[in-house]
Amino acid sequence: MNRNKHLLLWASTGTLLVLLWAAYSEHVLSEWRQAQAHVAAHLPPGTEFEIQLRQIVVPALKATDRCVSCHVGMAPGETGIAGDRIYGKHPPVHHEPAEIGCTTCHAGQGRATTKAGAHGTAPHWPQPMIPLKHVQAGCGSCHSHVHVPNLAMLDRGRDLVDRYDCLSCHRIDGKGGTFRPGGAGGGEGPDLSAIGAKGIPGDWYEGHLGNRRLAEAGKPPDAFPWKASFGEIPERDRTVMEGYLSSRIGVPALAHGKSLFNSLGCRGCHKVNGVGGDDGPDLSRAGERDPALTNFSRVTGEHTIANWHAQHLKSPATIVPGSAMPDFGLTDAQVDSLVTYLLSLRRTDAPEALWPPDRARALRLGEREFSTDGSTLYATFCASCHGTSGEGMRFAGAQPFPAVGNRDFLAVATDDFLKQSILHGRPGRRMPAWGEKEGGLRPREIDAIVAYLRSTAGGIGPEKDTKPARWAKDEPGAGAQLFAAHCATCHGKDGEGAEGVALNNTAFLKAATDTYLFESIRRGRSGTTMPSFASGSPARQALSAGEIEAIVAFLRTWEVKK
Amino acid sequence: MNTPGHGQEERTGLGTFADNLRKVPRRFIESMFRTGRPDSDRSRNDFVFSNFFLHVQSVRTHRWSLRWSTTWGLGMVALSSFLIATVTGILLMFYYKPYPEAAYQSIKDIHFVVPTGRFLRNIHRWSANVMVFSVLIHMARVFYTASYRKPREFNWATGMFLLVVTLGLSFTGYLLPWDQLAYWAITIGANIAQSPREVTDPIGLTPHFDPGGLQKLLLLGSDEVGAEALIRFYLLHVMILPIALCGLLGIHFWRIRKDGGLAKPEDADRRLGGPDPEAVPAWTAAPRKTWSLAAVVRGRTPAVGAGAENTVPSMPHLFYAEAAVFMLTFLVCVLLSIVSDAPLKELANPNVPENPAKAPWYFLGLQELVAHSAFAGGVLIPGIIIVGLGLIPYLDREKKGTGEWFGGPGGGKLVAWSAVFGLGTVLALEAIAIRFGWLRQWFPGTPQLLITAINPGTVLTLIYGLYSVYIVRRFNSMRAGALGLFTCFLMGFLVLTVIGTWFRGPNWDFYWSPSQWPGH
Repeated sequence: MNRNKHLLLWASTGTLLVLLWAAYSEHVLSEWRQAQAHVAAHLPPGTEFEIQLRQIVVPALKATDRCVSCHVGMAPGETGIAGDRIYGKHPPVHHEPAEIGCTTCHAGQGRATTKAGAHGTAPHWPQPMIPLKHVQAGCGSCHSHVHVPNLAMLDRGRDLVDRYDCLSCHRIDGKGGTFRPGGAGGGEGPDLSAIGAKGIPGDWYEGHLGNRRLAEAGKPPDAFPWKASFGEIPERDRTVMEGYLSSRIGVPALAHGKSLFNSLGCRGCHKVNGVGGDDGPDLSRAGERDPALTNFSRVTGEHTIANWHAQHLKSPATIVPGSAMPDFGLTDAQVDSLVTYLLSLRRTDAPEALWPPDRARALRLGEREFSTDGSTLYATFCASCHGTSGEGMRFAGAQPFPAVGNRDFLAVATDDFLKQSILHGRPGRRMPAWGEKEGGLRPREIDAIVAYLRSTAGGIGPEKDTKPARWAKDEPGAGAQLFAAHCATCHGKDGEGAEGVALNNTAFLKAATDTYLFESIRRGRSGTTMPSFASGSPARQALSAGEIEAIVAFLRTWEVKK
Repeated sequence: MNTPGHGQEERTGLGTFADNLRKVPRRFIESMFRTGRPDSDRSRNDFVFSNFFLHVQSVRTHRWSLRWSTTWGLGMVALSSFLIATVTGILLMFYYKPYPEAAYQSIKDIHFVVPTGRFLRNIHRWSANVMVFSVLIHMARVFYTASYRKPREFNWATGMFLLVVTLGLSFTGYLLPWDQLAYWAITIGANIAQSPREVTDPIGLTPHFDPGGLQKLLLLGSDEVGAEALIRFYLLHVMILPIALCGLLGIHFWRIRKDGGLAKPEDADRRLGGPDPEAVPAWTAAPRKTWSLAAVVRGRTPAVGAGAENTVPSMPHLFYAEAAVFMLTFLVCVLLSIVSDAPLKELANPNVPENPAKAPWYFLGLQELVAHSAFAGGVLIPGIIIVGLGLIPYLDREKKGTGEWFGGPGGGKLVAWSAVFGLGTVLALEAIAIRFGWLRQWFPGTPQLLITAINPGTVLTLIYGLYSVYIVRRFNSMRAGALGLFTCFLMGFLVLTVIGTWFRGPNWDFYWSPSQWPGH
């Protein structure tokens, strides 16, 4: 019995000790209590401060955020330690953190009350906090459809706003509003850093002009800024400025990243929000990527999604072996900017009433989050493969992409051919279909791209073609022989394409008229490896019109074969 | 004035009040135990017999039962862990919300903001594991000491039900956190429930008779693991199964008492030697009632037949032992809870399967077999095992070795050899299956029905069965066969569980360590 008595005594003592330890660590050692004790010790004497669990609950946004249990100064009604980055107040932002919660923007695990758990670096938490460096990415979770022009337009817009002296009165992204001869006045106009979120008033220009006229008429008597600062602005410049201003929603880094993403042509291969190519993965939720499901084995440095994206952008094939994504030779600044945008692709399922105007306009009114002029569209969706001015591209290990801006090409290609080619793509090839159900482009946008292509080549229109779409006739066997002799080296034995484009593609053959094929062979494409067969060269005989016709007729045999 | 008794007469009403007040604690305790202080043998007996909670135990306990090596307290460990799990479970119920996403969030809240919630949940989880583990080795103890024999056959059968209910309790609790771990483990479980289709499908029976589909539907209340499944599992976990367990426990304990306490060898008294010098001298007072004479109790009662010299009063000898085991179990649970947190993975996501998705550890041995055939590994073999175990006391009607460790023909040596044989067989079979694959790898296009019939699990079962037939013939004893078979299955369970737990990675491939798992 004594053995049992001893066992009972020591087991009970041990249990009691463990329970006491559990109570002690719960009430004294927990991180948030220590954080609050730290704050309490640094508050001015006499300040009322209770050590308690604090949280911000926003049911509509599914936010239950206990971040303010440690970041006490950011809790509603608390002051915290003035000026302290961790325990002080939240830096001024457009939104009231107490109203929208913390994780809504910053991600992380709101319910947690430990640092590792809350910052989401703990295992099994799919959405760690967005690093401070890319903090503006958080805004993208609601402002998922901010309208941005292309980078060139963005820069130009910024220059124009500068040049037209808007910054005399207005402040944008922390600049301006104070430039006044003699340093007087300043800040008369509203801050435009977030004008894109509210929407630019349609009559701003007329309003400004009216004010100037009033000032010139002496009412009010001393309206110096209007007289001195505001002049007429041509409509073309106004459009560019409006494009720039519409991207100002208080997050310049995010707008820049998005614009850069579009301008680099990433969407030629990647879909975002339903628009883009399908060569690469859909990136609509790239910011929500779960670190636990991500392969970090080739990533150096910290295992965060931000770092993964950064290293992947710098050298795609290093991080994802076999990746077809080209190395763009991006600078560090560009990489950071792109990562900010990629991390912003993490849409919250906010109720519609809380949608920002940009999202509502895009999802309910069908507005685009990119400019829909031909130049922007071409740069966004076409340029990454076909070159910034349609000169075609070559990537190591891939067949060359055709030069769609080539003058000879545009001279023989009808608008219909171009539209059909964009609409349906080239099945089986890298060129995706861009119709609304595939790549997500609307008919008007495809029209704009075609028009833009023509304008870049000096407005070359297709030559008149009175012949029917199919007219070429073959002498039996001749076409095949001629093709093997003259075309197969570049276009492949069966027209499957190599150095030259694939000719056995049914979508291509369907869109192309006989005249198009005939003329393409006859003239060639100056500036590319496709020679003109109308004239010979020391290495090659010229082809007669009949022979070309035979080849065209031979090409047609592939149209029905498949 | 100072004469004895004088003051009492002189005491004022207020003095009596003060005196009574002072005595309240002692009198309260005395009143709680109807029989007063247990200071004589008689009152010790009454302390047990007249107490609602204690009277399921006999008033005197044989010293053989109190030896540590007789039981190692395993049954008590199982009961203790059940009690601990019940209390912590009830506390957790205050915070838990049995609805898909809310469930996960409420576990997060329990983890992060409920005072000591994380600790409570850890204790709950650990006590549940201790319970499963102790129930298993308690069963092994009862088997190896041949304690299931007449008149305890039915209690062994009750024990089988208790084992099933215990596993059910643990398994239903597994889903409740609604995280990835839970979701996919239960998905596996549901598919195993559906696995009879593996047999009914190929013979075209499913449209007419579909026990698999019915089982899955009953379990999940839907085709997939969802809100319906969660509420079912919750109800099973907090009400139906605990009530069933309590009822079965009542029968289990009552039968221990009625079957004459714990099994002991015929010559236990001789082996123990003289009376325990520590014990209060045995049986000094005559029983107040002669139960057997009054025909209230049938058969052997502790006071009938055998001499009472080697019994000691249960109060306090047995209760100290029980209390000690309870506290030790509690200590183990709280220590483990301080050291290791109960897992909680990502929110359940039906679109992202866990790879590997693993069932709770005690099912991983079966999951190892399920990898070949869900029906064989999840239904057929467990069924054979449970039924086989249940039949043991009805087949083994021998007397030799009752109450002794590894008692019976062959004894410890047979168990050791069987362990070697069992280990060797399961290791060899697993090595073949892992290194060279199985029928499907050898002959692609092998019909599943054939694999259901011939897979490592069924082959292993067959080999073990043949082995035990050989042992039965060799020793001409059912007990020897049972010793061999039980040991073999124990080794099989052990090896398969270890492989399933530590050596299986994504796609259930074999890896020496998780560090070799391929990245995603």
